[in-house]
Amino acid sequence: MKVQPEFGVFIRQRRQALQIRNNSFSVRGLAKELGIQPSYISKIERGEVAPPSEETIVRMAHVLGEDPDVLLALAGKVSRELRQAIVKRPMLFAELIRQLKDAPDHALLRVVREVRDGNW
Amino acid sequence: MIELKADKLVFSCPDVHASAALSISFQRTLRIPDDENDYPLPPGLGEFPLRHIDDHADRVPASWIEHGGVMLPMYQSEAMWLYFDSKYDVERHVDYPFAIKIATGKINAVSGKEWKQGLHRKPTQDYVVVPGQPWLDGYCVEKGIIRQFVAMPLGAGYTAEEQITGKAEHGGLQIMAIPMKREVYEKRFPKREPARFSIGRMPHFSMSDSCAEYGEMGLAPGGRMKQDIYEDEFDLADWDLEQASRCFVHIANSMVWHQITGTKPPTTPPTAKEYTAAGLPWFMWYDDKRAGLKGSKVLGSLKSIATLGRHKKDVPLPENTTVKPQNVIPLRQGLNKNQVREFEEVGQ
Repeated sequence: MKVQPEFGVFIRQRRQALQIRNNSFSVRGLAKELGIQPSYISKIERGEVAPPSEETIVRMAHVLGEDPDVLLALAGKVSRELRQAIVKRPMLFAELIRQLKDAPDHALLRVVREVRDGNW
Repeated sequence: MIELKADKLVFSCPDVHASAALSISFQRTLRIPDDENDYPLPPGLGEFPLRHIDDHADRVPASWIEHGGVMLPMYQSEAMWLYFDSKYDVERHVDYPFAIKIATGKINAVSGKEWKQGLHRKPTQDYVVVPGQPWLDGYCVEKGIIRQFVAMPLGAGYTAEEQITGKAEHGGLQIMAIPMKREVYEKRFPKREPARFSIGRMPHFSMSDSCAEYGEMGLAPGGRMKQDIYEDEFDLADWDLEQASRCFVHIANSMVWHQITGTKPPTTPPTAKEYTAAGLPWFMWYDDKRAGLKGSKVLGSLKSIATLGRHKKDVPLPENTTVKPQNVIPLRQGLNKNQVREFEEVGQ
């Protein structure tokens, strides 16, 4: 698996931001939460090893309060759930992605639920 | 646009820049003693749950539906702080800058003025800037001092809104986020070569029936805490007001949260006395490079909950024992790599 330096940079930046007021986000604390070695976390953050498995990345996203799909994308991966959805209807999703890949963000965001603003 | 993701409000402005995104979470914390001593920063004890108002429209007041936005639960006399985190741009090695206006009961928490559109620096700055201001724990009452945000029932007379306007009308929190203009951002923060390491950044009150029935809460000034609110280092014209987005955050009393949402609220946090006795850490934040605001005279003249309680011959705070934090961890903005390591070792 190819090393993804951006993934490690992002993880380190997020962890340190959280650690400022919650010390369970130290390298050792995060490693304990994820059930992996602290040295492995350090190597991931320094971009010395490839990103971990999908399962570990999803747990990492949960612990760090990040979106799993964003972390998987930074790691150069697509979630199993999305892969299964694509494999189930490959032509439909391939065409959908091709058509939407160059669409402006505001067009894509129409399918996202927004917090409604009212009168105040 | 604003989304609700994992109990965070996520403001994103994709039309401005792909990195123009900001998340705001509402952190549970312990209430510092309201005894006129100046305390260090208390810890974060996790996020308050956030829910769309529209998902519980049949169980909230009509005014909440009209305001829109989200809601969270707080116990009476529980404290909170706001955590700001803008998106990290890996090409420019910087968090995307945002100006953020925060009001409680439509009273600006930085300037003490009533809510109005736009950003202002005169007579006093009425917003905070991220990155640089990672959190806000309360009302900016003096240079380097805030009074902690503490939940009190709307209508009881303690909230900043009621003390300033004499009305228990709005309650909750109001937030507006304004991104930096794209062209300004790209000029101020040019792209840089990829780095293998990131750098740590590091009167008379009228109380309507609905206030009581739905446990509607507002925020009131509690104890004094050492925290600077920093001056905006950018130009006022750098902010893209056309891309501003805002959100009303309602506060429901935790005692009725289950009735509204069918889910349990978080447990009550430990008291400052319990926390300190356990030797757990408090924090001090230093940023020598930025200048702190002087503080609002309007907010500085507010009576704290304990003080107002004495005037009312009331005991609004169930526990208010003075504590002496011993374990205070210093934090500094702009940590270099070695300093981050030192801090990690301390943490481990």
